[in-house]
Amino acid sequence: MAVDAARDGVRSRAPARERLRAGGRISRAARYLFFGAVLGYFCIPMAAVLIYSFATRWTANVLPDGYTLDWWQATVSNPRIQSAFSTSMALATLTAFIDIAVVVPAAYWSRVRNARIRHVIEVAAAVPFALPYVVIAFGLMQFSGVVAPQFQGTFVLLVAGHAAIAFPFVYWAVDGAMAAAGIERLSETAEACGASPMQIVRLVVIPNISSGLVTGGLLSFAASFGEFAMAQIIGRGLDTVPLWSAEMIRSYSDTAGSYNRLAVVTLLTFAVLFVLSAVVVYWNRGQTVRLLPGAGASDEGGRR
Amino acid sequence: MSGVSMVGVTKMYGQVKALDHVSIDVCEGELLALLGPSGCGKTTLLRCVAGLERPDRGTVEIGDADMTAVPTRDRPIGMVFQSYALFPNLTVRQNIAFPLEVRHRPRTEVSARVDELLELVHLTSQADRYPKQISGGQAQRCALGRALAPNPQVLLLDEPLSALDALVRGRLRDEIRRIQQLVGITAIYVTHDQSEAMAIADRVAVMNAGRVEQIAAPADLYEMPATQFSAKFVGSRNAVELAVLDGKVGIPGSFHIDAPGGSNGHALAFFRPEDVQVSRGNTGPGMDARVELKVFLGATTRLHLVGEADGQPIAIFGDLPSRQARLIDEGEMVRVDVDPDHVHAFPI
Repeated sequence: MAVDAARDGVRSRAPARERLRAGGRISRAARYLFFGAVLGYFCIPMAAVLIYSFATRWTANVLPDGYTLDWWQATVSNPRIQSAFSTSMALATLTAFIDIAVVVPAAYWSRVRNARIRHVIEVAAAVPFALPYVVIAFGLMQFSGVVAPQFQGTFVLLVAGHAAIAFPFVYWAVDGAMAAAGIERLSETAEACGASPMQIVRLVVIPNISSGLVTGGLLSFAASFGEFAMAQIIGRGLDTVPLWSAEMIRSYSDTAGSYNRLAVVTLLTFAVLFVLSAVVVYWNRGQTVRLLPGAGASDEGGRR
Repeated sequence: MSGVSMVGVTKMYGQVKALDHVSIDVCEGELLALLGPSGCGKTTLLRCVAGLERPDRGTVEIGDADMTAVPTRDRPIGMVFQSYALFPNLTVRQNIAFPLEVRHRPRTEVSARVDELLELVHLTSQADRYPKQISGGQAQRCALGRALAPNPQVLLLDEPLSALDALVRGRLRDEIRRIQQLVGITAIYVTHDQSEAMAIADRVAVMNAGRVEQIAAPADLYEMPATQFSAKFVGSRNAVELAVLDGKVGIPGSFHIDAPGGSNGHALAFFRPEDVQVSRGNTGPGMDARVELKVFLGATTRLHLVGEADGQPIAIFGDLPSRQARLIDEGEMVRVDVDPDHVHAFPI
């Protein structure tokens, strides 16, 4: 009896599966079409920028009138661009490292020792999104004018500003990774094994949240590298890639070829971020990083 | 001396008393099980011994040293958690070596000790696997090896078998007991499973609502529950509410025992189904009852019996050897008798 019923169940489910499979076949074409559209949406502008960076003159026709390596050569050897690029690289790298150094202990502490500071961190992590960067930048300028006027317009103040606006990216990546690793549990275990707090962070926390560190680091790097408003307001006197780019856009009528050079810089920026993203994807292969705030906050490591 | 003594340990969570003046002495080399339903405070007590919780009042001593204010990492303990809690970035070997590495023991000593432990927990062939590459039972054996690595004075086990399936659970339970006795280490074992507690422990402490109800050897606990809670929680018992008449409680035709002190008109009598005798017809000793249902359990068959005492219907479970129960039909009238020596009555 029971066996018959089970067999009936299988038989009645089979057509449904067939239908599903047929449905899948129909939508496959649609899926390829959609994928192609998305791919085109991303790639065509990049291709246009790429072609523009090699174009002598591109006005009347679908493709440029001629091709040249001059823009690349001129851009790469231009000391101002070199300096803007290295400033931006240094700024973004420092921002990422400062954010990791600040956020990891705070996130760890909020999970293991004092859950109450969690609310404070979460509110702080929402502020950079709730307020326009221009407003934050202006506030920072006013504040530094009162507290430490000698830092105004310096690299140090800009790093501090970028660290402040980019830290939520690191926080969410790191906090998600800690939830996924069940860091509270591992930390208690390490304590019972006789590890000191420093040993716990070094031997247990860091290795088990490395995916979150890399992801968060990259996101804050990218946020800082492309940031414009704050650099404009509190980084006067500095040259970053976005500031230089804005200047190129404004000065189109003055200098021939500024758009072409802009295209070169855009591609270089893209290349840097693309390589870093590839590193992250490679590093995190097979692991899921939860980036949503509070992801897994209530799961006590999942396996309980 | 490396026993553990907990004296007047009290722990509050807000208004809730998780532990209420708990005092337990664990002797050297003894395995003591903390048994109770979830929320009874058994895990909190274990965490107080580990130092993962700080008691609000009371002291915890290990050996002769007061540990109450000592941080977890400086206590001579090894701990095994329900969720294994192996470090996922380390291999089995590195997990077991971890407590030795953080103590900066010399490398040759670490490697010799780890080999010894791998052998003890039968994981030598899995030594270089990562936690996600081994089974739950192997993971828990690895956790046990890691807990024992630094030669702790006390082994703390927090529901170590709860995450495992039934077959592995029984085997690993005996394995833990074997290793505990072999090493001769004092151990505290938290569980909510009474059969697990009785199978593994030298003594069982039954806990309820933050208090210790009874501490006794498994056989004594089974035979002589000291409190109503122990009687209810340990072993599956009949609990029958009976009227007190002339200082006695009983089932007409069967037992009459002295009513417990403090009973006010009624008392609760506990006895186990295997102490219920059932005879066919109306010639044997005991109370008349009807067989409502027969449940075949293998070696025994459980009869659901309904009789009458003091004008009230009472329901009793009786376990009979299955061969004997075959002769009894559902709906049949039988005589039910209970040996008064095996009845424990408590005031309501």
